[in-house]
Amino acid sequence: MSADDSLACQDCGATLRFHGTRTTRCPYCASPSVLARPASPDLPNPDFVVAFGISEASALERAKNWTRSRGVFTHGGILRASIEDVRGVYLPAYLYTSIGSASYSAQIGEDYQEIETYAETVNGRTEMRTRTVTKTEWRSLTGEWQGYFRDVVVSASRGLPNAELEAVEPFDLRLLRRFSEAQVQGWITEEPSMQLGACVADARQEAMQGLGQTLDRLMPGDSHSDLQFTSHFEREQASLVLVPCWVLAVRYDKEKPPVRLVINGQTGKAWGKAPLSWLRIAIAVLLTAAVIAGLVVAARGRP
Amino acid sequence: MSCARCASPLEVGDIRCAVCSLPAPAGSDAPARTTASILRCDECGAAVTYSAEHVGTRCPFCGAVAHLEQPADPIEAAEGFLPFRVSPAEAAAALRSWMDTLGFFRPSDLAAKATVDHIRPLFFAGWLFEADALVSWAADSDAGSGSSEWAPHSGQVPMRFDNVLVSASRGLSAQEVARLASGFQLTNIAPEPVGATEAMVERFDVQRSTARAIIANAVHGTAYARTESGQVPGRRVRNCHISVMVQALQSRRYGFPAYVLAYRYGDKAYRAVVHGQDAAIAFGDAPLSIRKILLVAFGVAALVLIIVAVLSNR
Ligand SMILES: [Zn+2]
Ligand SMILES: [Zn+2]
Repeated sequence: MSADDSLACQDCGATLRFHGTRTTRCPYCASPSVLARPASPDLPNPDFVVAFGISEASALERAKNWTRSRGVFTHGGILRASIEDVRGVYLPAYLYTSIGSASYSAQIGEDYQEIETYAETVNGRTEMRTRTVTKTEWRSLTGEWQGYFRDVVVSASRGLPNAELEAVEPFDLRLLRRFSEAQVQGWITEEPSMQLGACVADARQEAMQGLGQTLDRLMPGDSHSDLQFTSHFEREQASLVLVPCWVLAVRYDKEKPPVRLVINGQTGKAWGKAPLSWLRIAIAVLLTAAVIAGLVVAARGRP
Repeated sequence: MSCARCASPLEVGDIRCAVCSLPAPAGSDAPARTTASILRCDECGAAVTYSAEHVGTRCPFCGAVAHLEQPADPIEAAEGFLPFRVSPAEAAAALRSWMDTLGFFRPSDLAAKATVDHIRPLFFAGWLFEADALVSWAADSDAGSGSSEWAPHSGQVPMRFDNVLVSASRGLSAQEVARLASGFQLTNIAPEPVGATEAMVERFDVQRSTARAIIANAVHGTAYARTESGQVPGRRVRNCHISVMVQALQSRRYGFPAYVLAYRYGDKAYRAVVHGQDAAIAFGDAPLSIRKILLVAFGVAALVLIIVAVLSNR
């Protein structure tokens, strides 16, 4: 297979390039149904790359830790699960930056103390007493905000959707390098399978979430509510960046498809959707119901 | 070479703008060097070469979390030196006149009896930055308050920062540099120290990324102080929060002239600092006169006793 060959996964739609690696399985879904196809000339070249910082052995170690640290409602097989198909893959993502502007409005709560007089009956006599109560005065506030959105990373892969990438972010972007073929030699790289426009829309969405948190921290007062804002983005820029991910298949049940575990190839942060054990959940629900029923019966039984 | 979006200068090796993160155009940065990344431990300071094969982000010496330093993260030298305008003799005289201003509770013979151990001229390390910024702020103040003594306010204001001094010195404390900051004249800056040949030159011992973080902090701190005191209406302010959008941030590394003096009074040593360009700025440690303090304390006690006695005799 030449370095310029691409393979397309028939199951999940990822398009992959194998730089000196020999594999015929899709790293995302472990499907063997990958087809060779010529490299598409119209695809954008990566601008940047973040290098792997976690070795395969270290990724396996983290995967084992992940299987051992699942909650009680997780499928019992996870503890004894075998880890198959450890693949390091450079995932295509867009690194988005822009200048954001927002107009916001909120209700700001300013607390104050008031002395209240109230009547209390002591030994059959009514006495007037006072107490200090805290009240909140609500004032509306409107304002403008402007700032940079600097490090928004969104997946450009259909194989690994943005929500899964977000779960293993952040990447240390101070270690960003300009892309060169030499840096990905020996690794699998995936070609972007999402349109730039869709990725920019995802990035704006992430930027908006960040903006919401920024404005939330900006608000004065003892409390605030009803924070609303309209925003727009200018001078937008998106660069294609390859980010390192270890993708592992966790086989917990011979009958079922494996769980996919994603590990940030730079920081080692792991994420996977552990299968739940319905049996364990059902037992827990039944036990809780039994305890409540028992308590009710006990309460009724008293004189 | 400046950033196309925020006009801050790009330095050799930058692939993105340090202020707004806009990527630098390809080919503008120096050819990719193969220098290894350095893993620097936050706890023990050890620096090891980062390798994907056998290290994570833990320090091999002490196991603490280490941070990766940028490959192109040089420790940079001063770009220029501000000249001394105060001679050692004038600095010694400045020390004596400062002693005379210290007030009643210092020994009366401090200026006469103190002996100067040494007068050390030095260039301390610091940055001067200039920038434009748009500051978005929100705060509570007493202006326009109703039932509560606080009312919310917000605003957005452009700010210009000209030659704000940020300390890079380990030898002088932040407070000492803050007191020296006002008196410098930015003329006749020379590429090498001139005049005081025996002056020590303090090195910049932080890397570029750390320097940028310190300067970014200083920009934020300066903008915050200006907002709180000059933008929020009213006399009392609380919960002041700001967001700063910086543009055209430039910083320069300079050596700033100052004297560090050690003097003795009785059998104790004290330290003082005299500005290298303005002898009116002098400050330091000084002894207190125990005798005078005791005298005043006894005087006050006697006065209280007399008043009590007079009142109880009525
Ligand atoms: Zn696949
Ligand atoms: Zn910029």
